[in-house]
Amino acid sequence: MFITLLKKELFVELRNKEVILSMLAFGLTVLLIFSFSLSGNPKINHEIAPGLFWSLVVLSSSLGLHRLFGQEKDFDAFASLLSAPIDRGTLFLAKWISGFLFLFLIEILVVLPFFLFLGLSQPMSYFPGIGIVMLGNLGIVAVGVIVSGMAMRAKMSAVLLPVLLFPLITPLLIACVKATTGWYHLIPFSTWQFWVLIMATYVVIFGLAGYVFFEHITEE
Amino acid sequence: MRILFIVSVILMAVNLYAIFFIAPMVPEQHWAQKIFYVHVPIAWSSFLSYFIVMVSGILFFIKKDSYWDRVGLAAAEIGTLFVALVLITGPIWATPIWGKPWIWEPRLTTTLILFLIYIGYFMLRKFGGHPERVARYAAVLGILAFLDVPLIFYSVKFWAPQYQLHPQVEMNQQPDEILLPFFFSMFTFTILYILMLRFRVKISNFQYKLKTKNV
Repeated sequence: MFITLLKKELFVELRNKEVILSMLAFGLTVLLIFSFSLSGNPKINHEIAPGLFWSLVVLSSSLGLHRLFGQEKDFDAFASLLSAPIDRGTLFLAKWISGFLFLFLIEILVVLPFFLFLGLSQPMSYFPGIGIVMLGNLGIVAVGVIVSGMAMRAKMSAVLLPVLLFPLITPLLIACVKATTGWYHLIPFSTWQFWVLIMATYVVIFGLAGYVFFEHITEE
Repeated sequence: MRILFIVSVILMAVNLYAIFFIAPMVPEQHWAQKIFYVHVPIAWSSFLSYFIVMVSGILFFIKKDSYWDRVGLAAAEIGTLFVALVLITGPIWATPIWGKPWIWEPRLTTTLILFLIYIGYFMLRKFGGHPERVARYAAVLGILAFLDVPLIFYSVKFWAPQYQLHPQVEMNQQPDEILLPFFFSMFTFTILYILMLRFRVKISNFQYKLKTKNV
């Protein structure tokens, strides 16, 4: 059932590209603002690059997460989905993984302009960075799906989502920036492994919370 | 409730007297230290309140009774009021002691983030839509917010280890003249908190009965 739901999420998104396009356009616009509002000094940019990258990801993701339930809301399809004999936890998993994939795709598309516009040097190795980004995405999207599910049927949902999301993901954001700094600035892993542990803990707690509570969030 | 109210008033009067006239002046902090007898008990009550929000959320799902939603809302309101007071009294103490009103100290930052989470909580309560749905959302958010507390605390603690300026008070090294008024203040504010919570729940119960036309 999970695979079917995941396929449905990916298929719907591939047809209208609503989440991906909104995140990509917003991400590039924010990147442009970063480029103009910073000093233009590559040395300073190199120092603050991890923080900028995660600010870009969080801002873009809030927009994409808002549209994660957009189709269901616009076409009043959520009631139909809920009337199907599907475990709500599985529904959460499908939203979580699809949201993660969309966000990861955006990061792949944005990372090259990010390095280019800010005049940043290429990292020495890519794999630890990819691992950090994937773990960070899982955490952001786990909370994002819970919050988006709550905000979906609320008034002012576009405002409510970031107001709920940003404070909740603060510990994850700190851990993401610290771990990315450790990797990008070639600091030994032993000094920043604590942050990876915080990220993993966060993903496990909020992944489980989403799985357990999604039933109460989606109930009509 | 009336007895609890009278007891609270008497305790608070004695507490204020103890803080200003019995507790000794700490030489290097003078009057600024007096806020410690208010700041810490308020902070304790606010975290107790958020703990009650979480417990009410769990009980709401187990018992399926809207009473626990009203308890959760009451605890969230009083907790947020107390957190706001913590965020006001903290900088009042910090300005003469640290030389600046705000530092990214773990406990202060955790309190600020919790305050922001609860701003979102009240927005969700107001704009969330159908009351039954909002009750479920609020219960989930109350549980998630409390689960987030240790993660926030430890991430901020290690994010900026240079900001560990919050007084690391070793309570067993403090003289009795400081300890007794401090614990008395903790007790008094806890009683005040219980009174406020019961009062708020009582009002919410009346409002609920009026809405459901049982009165």
